[in-house]
Amino acid sequence: MSTRPYHAAIFGATSAICIETLRAMAREKTTKLLLIGRHPGRLESVANDLRSRGAECTTLVADFLDPKTNWLQILTDNAQSDPWDLLLIAHGSLPDQDTTLRDPESLAAELHINFTSPAVIAAACAQILVKQNHGTLAVFGSVAGDRGRGSNFIYGSAKAGIDTFLAGMRHQFSQHRKIKIVTLKPGMTDTPMTSHLPKGPLFSSAEAVGTQSWRAIQSAPPVAYLPGWWKFIMTLIRILPSSLLHRTKL
Amino acid sequence: MTATKTFHSWGKLRPATAKLLAPAWIPNDLPGTGPFLAYGLGRSYGDSCLLDGGTMIETRFLDRIQHFDPQTGILRAESGITLAAILRFCVPKGWFLPTTPGTSQITLGGAIANDVHGKNHHSAGCFGNHVRMLDLLRSDGSRHTLRPGDPMLAATIGGLGLTGLITSAEIQLVPIRSAHLDVELTRFCGLDEFMEISASSSETWEHTVAWIDCVASGNSLGRGIFIRGKWSDRGDLSTHRTARLTAPFEMPGFTLNRFTVQAFNTLYYRRFLGKTKTLHQHYAPFFYPLDGVNEWNRIYGKPGFYQYQCVTPTAAGTEPMKQILTKIAASGQASFLAVLKTFGDVPSPGMLSFPQPGITLALDFPQRDPATRDLFLQLDEIVRACHGRLYPAKDARMNARDFSQTYPQLESFKSFLDTKFSSDFWKRMTSATTPS
Repeated sequence: MSTRPYHAAIFGATSAICIETLRAMAREKTTKLLLIGRHPGRLESVANDLRSRGAECTTLVADFLDPKTNWLQILTDNAQSDPWDLLLIAHGSLPDQDTTLRDPESLAAELHINFTSPAVIAAACAQILVKQNHGTLAVFGSVAGDRGRGSNFIYGSAKAGIDTFLAGMRHQFSQHRKIKIVTLKPGMTDTPMTSHLPKGPLFSSAEAVGTQSWRAIQSAPPVAYLPGWWKFIMTLIRILPSSLLHRTKL
Repeated sequence: MTATKTFHSWGKLRPATAKLLAPAWIPNDLPGTGPFLAYGLGRSYGDSCLLDGGTMIETRFLDRIQHFDPQTGILRAESGITLAAILRFCVPKGWFLPTTPGTSQITLGGAIANDVHGKNHHSAGCFGNHVRMLDLLRSDGSRHTLRPGDPMLAATIGGLGLTGLITSAEIQLVPIRSAHLDVELTRFCGLDEFMEISASSSETWEHTVAWIDCVASGNSLGRGIFIRGKWSDRGDLSTHRTARLTAPFEMPGFTLNRFTVQAFNTLYYRRFLGKTKTLHQHYAPFFYPLDGVNEWNRIYGKPGFYQYQCVTPTAAGTEPMKQILTKIAASGQASFLAVLKTFGDVPSPGMLSFPQPGITLALDFPQRDPATRDLFLQLDEIVRACHGRLYPAKDARMNARDFSQTYPQLESFKSFLDTKFSSDFWKRMTSATTPS
């Protein structure tokens, strides 16, 4: 086992925080990665970057919103020859709150990409890990899921859903000591997804958050705030009485 | 979603408000009508990286390595990757940048568009001398793969981002055995002694530069420390750390005055006893002494600052530079960040590349207009008379006539312009009614 490369499959491998997580992983370990995403060109450019950094990469084009795609079969087949050490779910989308609220179709699509799709994938991944009795399932949630706030509750509620879903799975699989389920909760991060937002002191670089994600994946706590001080901030925001919260524009 | 954003250059003199494009992937075309300008990390000092009222394309998310050959040291990457990120990648493998400016916080695309130079200019030439290939996206949607010999490459190297969007580039790295350098510091007094040490160093020392005290006058006029280094055989291949310190806020204007600067310079000049001192130094403090403090430009406070960088040609001798130093010392306006270096005769690859054989001086001035601009006008006269020139990447106030007369390839350059690209610098240089 010790000479075997670290074997991981990544859903939504083209997100900025995820790329940094994989770069941090490739710096420290011999890795064998399966990168899964929607855009073949983007997947390939991420794969080339990671290959330059020493990772062995294959790519798989799949639409997570389409239940008929073959990722599940490929993951299951792969696990038989080489068990997964990590299944990482990283896709998501930060919608423009106001326009999305006025368009039921795009509202449904946003909830789907941020909750339904990762939940469906997480459930399937957990089964694979149970079968091999080994491995970590890590999913990107967000601090936005810790309390519904006027400025981004579409994204926040979907991330809250994922948080609860994973908490429930941890409970369900608590007897399986060799399986870890981790919710990664990045705070505000400087990525293309947030490029239009003004940057305050609370923003972290994608590189810092990615490096800490990799640390968290290894130590595998149930929930990891990235960086850790977001736990403190979100505790305050959670206990803030509504009468006060409603006076803010958070 | 088109957002607008306020952009600053490093000198923080005049912000620009522009529509923002922040592509996460190399785009196939440029949406909208423009005018466009690429923006990396905003380390240009003046207005060459700004386009007020236009569309600015932030390139920093285009940071992926496309290919690296560990045998030959050839690296191909997207244009928004920083020199710092390249070093973190290649130093442990025993490779280094072929040449580097005094900060690693710039993008690959920015290094090419400004054809930056470094301490080894006398042997390595400019950054553009080591570009093997680059991809350019023009506003008409056409893509061009440019190689040495292609005139469009010569226009794009040092072309201030005006020929289109550089999307990726291939450069040749150089092998190193250690991440450390053997360094020698030598005190000098006056430009003649600087020239002597410089001439005797150029054959045997790969990297040379000098810090010069531009505040001291009288007997101390032109005192400085000559810094020369070569790659060491001793030491590991460790990379630099990310900066731990950040300048917390914009300091009040009075922090930097004649007395604090003089005190700093005296301390710096007296930092070792005797004539010389040898050091075994990591590349980070040697090449990037200021990268240890994030946002150090805040020490100049709200009014911002200028950097004046000129070159006086070899043929003119040392007299013009002596006049410049005397004038600056007499003005009492200079700050402590002053750099003196001799450029070698490696031909610059770009039509608008700044370096030419001679002596270059770069130093910061807190913005105290009109006094600061008045001083620059006097310095311009000296530079003009000796057929020297100024560096667009540092400039916020150059005279358009000086620009057109001192960059002889400007007319050929213009035929390679992307008509939908522009910059505040370019508008200043080409508008019909230019104030001097």
